[in-house]
Amino acid sequence: MKFFFPDSQDLVDPSFDFDTEKRKETRIRQRDDLYAHEVFEKPPYDGMLVSMAIVHGTGGSTGRYTLGQQRRFSVEGAREFLRLPKGLELIGDCGAFTYVKEPVPPVSVEQVARFYEDSGFDYGASVDHIILEYDPQWDRPLPGTKPVPEDCVRRQELTIQLARDFQKLCRQQKVRFEPIGIAQGWSPKSYSKAVSALQKMGYKYIALGGLVPLKSTEILQVLEEVSPKLRPSTGLHLFGVTRLDYVKEFARHSVISFDSTSPLTQAFKEDRENYYGPERKYPAIRVPQVDINQKLKNRILSGEVSQAEAFRLERECLEALRDFDRRSFRRLELIEVLNEYQQLYGSTRNYSADYEILLKDRPWKECPCAVCRKLGINVVIFRGAERNRRRGFHNVYVTYKRLKHIRGKARTL
Amino acid sequence: MAKASTKAGVRRSRKKTANELLLRVPALEFNQGKDRRLYSFAVDGKELHKFCTISRVSRNDSEGLSGYQRPEVVSHIVQIREYLESENPLLPNAIVVAFDESVRFKPSSPNSENDKAISRTGVLEIPVKEGVLDALKPGWIVDGQQRAAALRDARVEGFPICVVGFIASGLEEQRQQFILVNATKPLPKGLIYELLPSTEGKLPIALQRRRYPALLSERLNFDDDSPMQGMIRTPTNGTGVIADNSILKMLENSLTDGVLYLYDDIEEQLDVLKTFWSAVKTVFPDAWGELPRKSRLMHGAGIVAMGFLMDTIADRHRRTKALTSKVFVNDLEPLRDICHWTEGYWEFGADNRLKWNELQNVPRHIQLLSNYLLIQYRELVWKA
Ligand SMILES: [Zn+2]
Repeated sequence: MKFFFPDSQDLVDPSFDFDTEKRKETRIRQRDDLYAHEVFEKPPYDGMLVSMAIVHGTGGSTGRYTLGQQRRFSVEGAREFLRLPKGLELIGDCGAFTYVKEPVPPVSVEQVARFYEDSGFDYGASVDHIILEYDPQWDRPLPGTKPVPEDCVRRQELTIQLARDFQKLCRQQKVRFEPIGIAQGWSPKSYSKAVSALQKMGYKYIALGGLVPLKSTEILQVLEEVSPKLRPSTGLHLFGVTRLDYVKEFARHSVISFDSTSPLTQAFKEDRENYYGPERKYPAIRVPQVDINQKLKNRILSGEVSQAEAFRLERECLEALRDFDRRSFRRLELIEVLNEYQQLYGSTRNYSADYEILLKDRPWKECPCAVCRKLGINVVIFRGAERNRRRGFHNVYVTYKRLKHIRGKARTL
Repeated sequence: MAKASTKAGVRRSRKKTANELLLRVPALEFNQGKDRRLYSFAVDGKELHKFCTISRVSRNDSEGLSGYQRPEVVSHIVQIREYLESENPLLPNAIVVAFDESVRFKPSSPNSENDKAISRTGVLEIPVKEGVLDALKPGWIVDGQQRAAALRDARVEGFPICVVGFIASGLEEQRQQFILVNATKPLPKGLIYELLPSTEGKLPIALQRRRYPALLSERLNFDDDSPMQGMIRTPTNGTGVIADNSILKMLENSLTDGVLYLYDDIEEQLDVLKTFWSAVKTVFPDAWGELPRKSRLMHGAGIVAMGFLMDTIADRHRRTKALTSKVFVNDLEPLRDICHWTEGYWEFGADNRLKWNELQNVPRHIQLLSNYLLIQYRELVWKA
């Protein structure tokens, strides 16, 4: 089973100095920065997934790329732009999550196909419209249960029609990428129906969309309904799903690939599970920047907190952490300093107990990845994109290592 | 007010001892008018905070004078701080401080040889109390708050600065001075950009990044062989038809993601720029040199989108042939009929149709026009 890592311009600046917190002045975004596959000796994924919505934006959204980057992406091609090593594959999709609230997708089949073709993708997904509701009961309606909402049915029909148009266009234009058909549904049976329709159109690679909010067992129920109808040559992709504990079951149901950003985003979006250790996940240590943390900024502007005091404590925290890593600062004192700063910036959460476990375990000392080797304790500090994103890269590395381990044990994956 | 007794405040007041010292600094006194005496002296920027407060904000118990600090202040302080931590910083302008009446000036011996009609030398005596609350310090910085904060926070040992102080009769007068010195307008951005090419040494990063594009823009505006000679509108060239900002944007795009990125040499970069824009002038003679309201080619959207076309044409040819005027003209010619700089409609496809003068200098339209030109270029020229 292959793991694709979605691109959303997540790069780190190698010129960033963790002591002075400055970067090279001449640094040019993206060109001088590094992708996760450039940070580690070996890429921590089998390929990348790039959404048209991230590059160009769709409808109202503007995308993450500057106009200059958009231009270079289409002229150089995705592979060269992302500096993707040989052997890694590229899936393109349209990024349906960005227009989920609109009545119809704001992109046309032609636009999307041109985007894939011009940028040189290996696989290109059809245009889809996410179905927001899911309820297995709709498969066995009892008297009195409400019927399937019209909007769900409409979105599925639209998605199937767009997949048909897409397949036709790809054949006409003899495109170089392999088309992927996307199935949307609201229950196991409805997914199965969509997948069968796509298979009939000639799709050999079919992706299931809209699974992100589902529980792992629900995803399995969908797969159990879908897989019996698959031809041996058909493979499935799961959009936005990393459930390593279920990889073996998924594989049994013809899943050949998935993609997910969650190992990266957990590094800075989760409350307590920011750093993936070998046994458990740890919270990262919060040391926000005085000049960026909004809460603290407001307290300074209102005169509630002295800026000098805030700067002093911030610096004290960072120095204490550094000293702790060199074993010249004690754990309990460190936690005390961290708490003092936390009170200043007004966080109501108490992380002391979690910090204590993290500082006792020192998991970053054990990790062989390039990030942990280079950053030391900085990798577990929750602070600014350069630290947070590198911690995310570490999580991606750990995830991929685990996946490879599972794959190694079961040869059929 | 409850807010005044924050943790930090309490800690400080607890530390407070009655240890009052007298800071004595050599100073120059001069009269600016009846009863108006100014004192000029130098002090280590780190010492400033022993006797000055940046803001009287914590004195608002009853008066309700809330902070003067504007929202962007913090990021500005960081910029100055980074400048102060750089190689060889210089801070020539003085910090202005309003003192209360506890500050005294002691002239040196009468008729000292340094004394002139308008000034005399002496020593300024400033009472300094260890660990006193900010609000009780004898000085208030009425101009240079951000520099002072940056000096305090900068990771430097010390940094001598020039201070101009005056003794105000009360809070009212301090405030009046504060408003007066802070009511002046900041320099217009355009003027700063125009001054950039002729500056040396480190500037705040945001300006540093603009310096090189500004230099290219200046050369395009003044070189004799430039098709844009005299056409870029700057504060000193008010008759130009192209906004300097549009040119800077076009240059920045190409410097990071286009053809200019490939060259280190400014003359080579200028050569490509002049060759390309001369070709644009040749292919679109009617739209060239007109005011933006008569020609969208001279408009922000037109300049930026054509800049992307320059980068793309260069990408197509640079490996095989020199980027001559002929190459650019040949590749631009097929696009002549689909461009509507001065009349007609842009046919952006589907239901996207814009009258020529509906094209605005906004991100959405710039993207629309750029994508359209690039797709047309691919279809009509590259693939053809
Ligand atoms: Zn690691």
